Amino acid sequence: MKSAVVAVAFLAGIGLLAGCQPAAQKAAAPKEKKVEPKKAEKKKKKSATERFRTALANQDKWQKACSNPNQLVPEGIDVETFRKEMLATVKFPPGGVLGKDVKRGEKLFGDPKKGGRSRRGNCYACHCGDPQILACGNIGPSLRGYGKRGIDPKDTYIKIYNSWAVVPCSVMPRLGYHGVLTPEEIADIVAYMHDPNSPLNK
Amino acid sequence: MGKRKLLLSALTGGVILGAVATAQEQVPSHLQELLELGMHPGHAYVDEGRETFNTLKGPNGKTCASCHGEDGAKLEGAYAKMPRYYTDIDRVADLDLRILSCMTKYMGFDPKDKKFRKEFDKWNGRYRVPLATFVASLSNGMEINVKLDDPQEKELYKKGEELWFMRVGARDFSCGICHTVLTGKRIRLQGLPDPVKAKVYTHWPAYRFGSDKMWTMEDRVRSCFKAYFLYEKKWDEKKDWVKKPPPYSDWVIALELYMKYAANGGVVEVPGLLR
Repeated sequence: MKSAVVAVAFLAGIGLLAGCQPAAQKAAAPKEKKVEPKKAEKKKKKSATERFRTALANQDKWQKACSNPNQLVPEGIDVETFRKEMLATVKFPPGGVLGKDVKRGEKLFGDPKKGGRSRRGNCYACHCGDPQILACGNIGPSLRGYGKRGIDPKDTYIKIYNSWAVVPCSVMPRLGYHGVLTPEEIADIVAYMHDPNSPLNK
Repeated sequence: MGKRKLLLSALTGGVILGAVATAQEQVPSHLQELLELGMHPGHAYVDEGRETFNTLKGPNGKTCASCHGEDGAKLEGAYAKMPRYYTDIDRVADLDLRILSCMTKYMGFDPKDKKFRKEFDKWNGRYRVPLATFVASLSNGMEINVKLDDPQEKELYKKGEELWFMRVGARDFSCGICHTVLTGKRIRLQGLPDPVKAKVYTHWPAYRFGSDKMWTMEDRVRSCFKAYFLYEKKWDEKKDWVKKPPPYSDWVIALELYMKYAANGGVVEVPGLLR
């Protein structure tokens, strides 16, 4: 009789525990728990060789097309189709192509407090812009006075989001396409480039 | 205001001109002065490498000199022919991999011994960089003469050329887009050299002032891949970043072979000296 009471209380206790604390319930099945993280750990520990191979295998078909000694669209691939396919990947931010945070745009373009450095945008590596930033590259055209050229901000946005929609196989990274910059961040850069008060346009 | 603008543009022009001038020279002038004074920091690595070569005993009692002769007498000119296929490891090896194979195969070091790998793999370790610099310096004054006789060498060369022009990663880069197509332009103020045409392999391993270290070509090639933004799944997830190819891997050696084959005929002059 006594033991039956204890057993009932015990069962009830388990029921309570199980009902209130799903975590405790998991602890009741140690076998399962042990197996899972081991599998997960194995997955995490890929060899450096495997990881590098995966990274190279991530090459998309457009990158593959450009991987020739001229680094241009090869014969046999229609440039217009290439452009159209790239244009189709461009996603626009809900708030429009002109962002609101011009300061953030400037930081992403190249932080003037850090000599124009910026890890993700890094525009000064190839373009000149703000006359204060002397260490600017000449691979891309200078962007001084960019906002005064009558360029549609939408085209600026597309060029930054996916430069290959404009010049296929260009050296300019497809920053939005790869997710290096979000649509909102690109919109802020566009706003900075078109802002009449931006140092680019003064 | 007008004056200031003029001054600024003059300054910019000066900086650009200066940068272009230094990009064209092999060794910047302030480093050239050091060379003339006989103060090449890379020579310390050569001396250290020679010392290690002659005295470091592996677990089975052999030194590098036991097989290759005192001061590497039998290794003269070896570096000028590398990377090449070696029957004993059945692979095309560059200098770094060749030294690693010698130490593990013939000197008795355990390739899985962490202490050994630390001394070998690390940039400031005592084995790889000094030994590589020393062995490379034994080919000074000789012409680079890399042959593609073995099928493995041919295959790897092809792989290297392919990899050189391969656009990949979140920045759509390849080695070739900057170092073949856009040569002569600048990334910020740094001129883009053409390591293939300019036969820069003649002065590698090189001592770089910027990092205050000796770099072997293995270090150089691997570090280049940091700019690619390579990733496994998503580039902005830190766990997915793939910064460098694994050391002594075929990818690295393929690129080295591609560059060094192009440098055939150039005269080895190591250690080099760079900004």
